Amino acid sequence: MTASSVPRLARGCRLQDTAEGWVLLIPEGVLRLSGPGPQILRRCDGAHSFAEIVRELGAEFGAAGDERVASETGAFLDRLVERQVVIVE
Amino acid sequence: MRPRGEEMAAADWARIFGEAAELGVLHAHLTGGEPLARPDLEALVGAARAAKLYVNLITSGVGLSERRLDALIAAGLDHLQLSFQDAAESPANEFAGARAHARKLALAGLVRARPIAFTVNAVVHRQNLDRLDEIVAMADDLGADRLEIANVQYYGWAIENRVRLLPTRAQMEACVAAVEAHRQRLKGRMRIDFVPPDYYARYPKACMGGWGRSLLLVDPAGWVLPCHAAGVIPDLEFDNAQHRPLGWIWAESAALRRFRGEDWMPEPCRSCDRRHEDFGGCRCQAMLLAGDAAATDPVCSLSPGRPRVDAILEQIHGAPAEGGAWVYRIDPA
Repeated sequence: MTASSVPRLARGCRLQDTAEGWVLLIPEGVLRLSGPGPQILRRCDGAHSFAEIVRELGAEFGAAGDERVASETGAFLDRLVERQVVIVE
Repeated sequence: MRPRGEEMAAADWARIFGEAAELGVLHAHLTGGEPLARPDLEALVGAARAAKLYVNLITSGVGLSERRLDALIAAGLDHLQLSFQDAAESPANEFAGARAHARKLALAGLVRARPIAFTVNAVVHRQNLDRLDEIVAMADDLGADRLEIANVQYYGWAIENRVRLLPTRAQMEACVAAVEAHRQRLKGRMRIDFVPPDYYARYPKACMGGWGRSLLLVDPAGWVLPCHAAGVIPDLEFDNAQHRPLGWIWAESAALRRFRGEDWMPEPCRSCDRRHEDFGGCRCQAMLLAGDAAATDPVCSLSPGRPRVDAILEQIHGAPAEGGAWVYRIDPA
């Protein structure tokens, strides 16, 4: 994931709010989301660059400028790219 | 499957999908038979999506035009799984009993260009496992997001054809190694899910994720079952979703309670640590192989019934791969 990468949810993958919190519904599966997961994935809409996602998350969580936002968000998204749940355009 | 006259209407399904969502269900799998045989399938897809279920369609592709595919997607379809019998056209058509293969290839081209998830489901067995590499290549070329390599499971019509279908041990071992290699090579590009035949396992599969534990099946007439094969087990009292709310059925139905949990387990299952992982294996398989739905799953190496499975495997290895006649579910002649 680089600053200009534009991640988006892969086809057939969508966010859903449930009684037990946010989940990502995928083919033959469910990924339970915790922490900033839902807020990250909501911004994987093909219109946010990775840098913009990190900036907005930083603002939302009161952690603007904190390097960990970028590294943790990047690691989270890289895992989801490997699982084919997120695509980078 | 039951005659069409007894099938529930779309409005019944809509109510049932709503009850399922209330129960905490997340995925709806529309399967069969062949779900496309219902002219109002789009209405069912719409109702499931409206209930906020993720909508999966499991299909052979028979009856799927481009127009219909677009209508299903517009109605809210999330994922389509298309079955293939082989990578090569002639054996594929022989196995399916129909000239379906070329149509499936064309359909795959339509699906891959659309914004839904796409899975190729390849049914494998002794007669086509040697073409596993071609099957994986075919699914990859077709642009599938996922490939399910499904070993025929020995229920229903497959049990009649078992000797010609069960792979040899050598084939199984080659298949396991090949799948792992393909999985690594295609990581991030195509997921491969693989269900090996449990006759070769030391322990049974966690069938359906446990009886009445992770999923339920509603048949076209509304009967609620723990799985598609449970009809082989005698003396099960099923309930019908047209007469009772699904939530009540899930909690109280005698059929769903019959093998739920651990109280029904005989030894060695009852005190076996693995019971938390495999939930006692498959009841339908115990019925088919041991004549007793409450018996330890005979594929388990700890089952007193395991020698019977070993005898079947010996028969496989003694029998020629070619020759003999298939027993079809519907005679193609």
